[in-house]
Amino acid sequence: MAVAASLTLAAPADALRRLHVDALSMRADRNHVAIGEVFHLAIRARLREDVAALDELVVPDVGTLQLEGDERHVTRSPAGTDVVETLTLEATARGRYTIRGAYVDAIDARTGKPTRFSADTVTIVVDNPGLASAVTAGQIVRALLIAGALILAVLGAIVGLPALARARRRREAATVGPTPVVPVAPARTARDEVAEALRAFRRTPETAALLRLRAALFAAAGAKPGATLRDAVRSGADERLRPALIAAERAAFGPASGRDAAAAALARAAEAWLS
Amino acid sequence: MNRPRDVLDALRATIVGQDDVVDGLVLALIAGGHLLLEGAPGVAKTLACRALAAAVGGVFRRVQFTPDLLPSDIVGTRIFDQKSAEFTTVLGPLFANVVLADEINRAPAKVQSALLEGMQERRATIGLQTLDLPAPFVVLATMNPYDSDGTYPLPLAQLDRFLAKVVVTYPSRDEERSIVDRFGAGEPPLRRDAATLDDVLRWQREAHSVFFDAKLRDYAIDIARATRGADMVAHGASPRAALALVALGRARAYLEDRDFATPDDVRDIAPAVLRHRVSYDDRLAITGGDPEDVVRRIVASVPAP
Repeated sequence: MAVAASLTLAAPADALRRLHVDALSMRADRNHVAIGEVFHLAIRARLREDVAALDELVVPDVGTLQLEGDERHVTRSPAGTDVVETLTLEATARGRYTIRGAYVDAIDARTGKPTRFSADTVTIVVDNPGLASAVTAGQIVRALLIAGALILAVLGAIVGLPALARARRRREAATVGPTPVVPVAPARTARDEVAEALRAFRRTPETAALLRLRAALFAAAGAKPGATLRDAVRSGADERLRPALIAAERAAFGPASGRDAAAAALARAAEAWLS
Repeated sequence: MNRPRDVLDALRATIVGQDDVVDGLVLALIAGGHLLLEGAPGVAKTLACRALAAAVGGVFRRVQFTPDLLPSDIVGTRIFDQKSAEFTTVLGPLFANVVLADEINRAPAKVQSALLEGMQERRATIGLQTLDLPAPFVVLATMNPYDSDGTYPLPLAQLDRFLAKVVVTYPSRDEERSIVDRFGAGEPPLRRDAATLDDVLRWQREAHSVFFDAKLRDYAIDIARATRGADMVAHGASPRAALALVALGRARAYLEDRDFATPDDVRDIAPAVLRHRVSYDDRLAITGGDPEDVVRRIVASVPAP
């Protein structure tokens, strides 16, 4: 199920795609697990548009749960696109974990407004191995009961399938209706990344922050990770970015004696590009 | 005060095209290492070496390596002087600032070893006397990739002593036209004294102090290590490759008037440093693959810091 929230901040409409998000859900295959056990968190999005990728889908922070894997599958058709992202997680410590819903920021094609579509939160309870096993046994019994109920439901569905399909369409449409809630920020751009990295660098002008700023500048130039300065300059970057790229190189690889001056020059060059 | 760029300009005034060769010669000079030049006959390998010696005002000697060459032919020998009734030492062509070892793979292993020992130790022994070779001292060895009958291929361990290997290619049509125009009426005079030998020694000292960041050092090491176990590679590069990447990376930064090296410096010179230090397995020959592609792939596989 998805909840849509209007973006009341000054969202740059051209930075967001216009999408019909018919459904966005997030579900764990197990809500009770033992420490050390692996479980899956599946995020499903259904769009009416035929898109190659859904980069706007932001997966939630899983906190101290150990992320073992992350797979995204996109199934396209003229009728729309289904995106399924499966996170494989391992519980490492006891406790109750509430995972915030995955979300998609887009221009809602129904209303024409910047909107955040969010999935519901998921709660995972992590117990010691013995306790979790007991819960698992209970779950098996419940699953058997549910399976029996499903068989009855399928029999019922055969009789009233057309009516069921119509009802389902109505329900999905109802779940994604725009509901104004908390304002959120628009999708991040390369400029935002540079600005944030520059702020972090000014707060703590240390190597890690310097390398983050350099990486943000290289990314803004269109260079891939692992690229050199020449790659960044040749990647058709904004000409005004060039002084900042060169300054970043000196700050990152120059001698320690001149690093303060190089860092100051880098900050000025990055600021000049941002302004 | 003369700069390496002056030597570069002097070489470019003589040599048409061949930017890799010209850059390689000056970088090897700054880094204080030796260079291997591989190319077909007549592509200005010898001229480039002579032009380098002239540009720095150094003594140039050329040794044509042949199967009947003896170690004493390059190192020198002691001759009995009947007038003074004493042995006198006659220095061989190794005692020069720029030594061109032409077709090094045509001489037997004994002669190659004598040359390589001189390259490594920067001294030579004649009889009981051990003499220092002049400074700066750079050996430029050529190898002809064709006509391999009757040659003695250098083993990897000896090739490893060369800082880099430059492949000398045929000139482009426009360059060939310039060559005919420039050299058609005889060889023009070489540009002399763009720098002095003292300048070269100073450059070597200053290049040695070019800052080389730890991230860059690790990058050089990763590139050298990536050759080991790489696809189509039988034997990867030794740790000397990482040392050569650092030395030439510093030299390149110095040539560009920088006091610190960058990832571009290391990545640009990596193919020249690796190509003669790697041996390829049989699959490369069977599939008709290009060794240069293998080296390029290895270098590209290592992300720059």
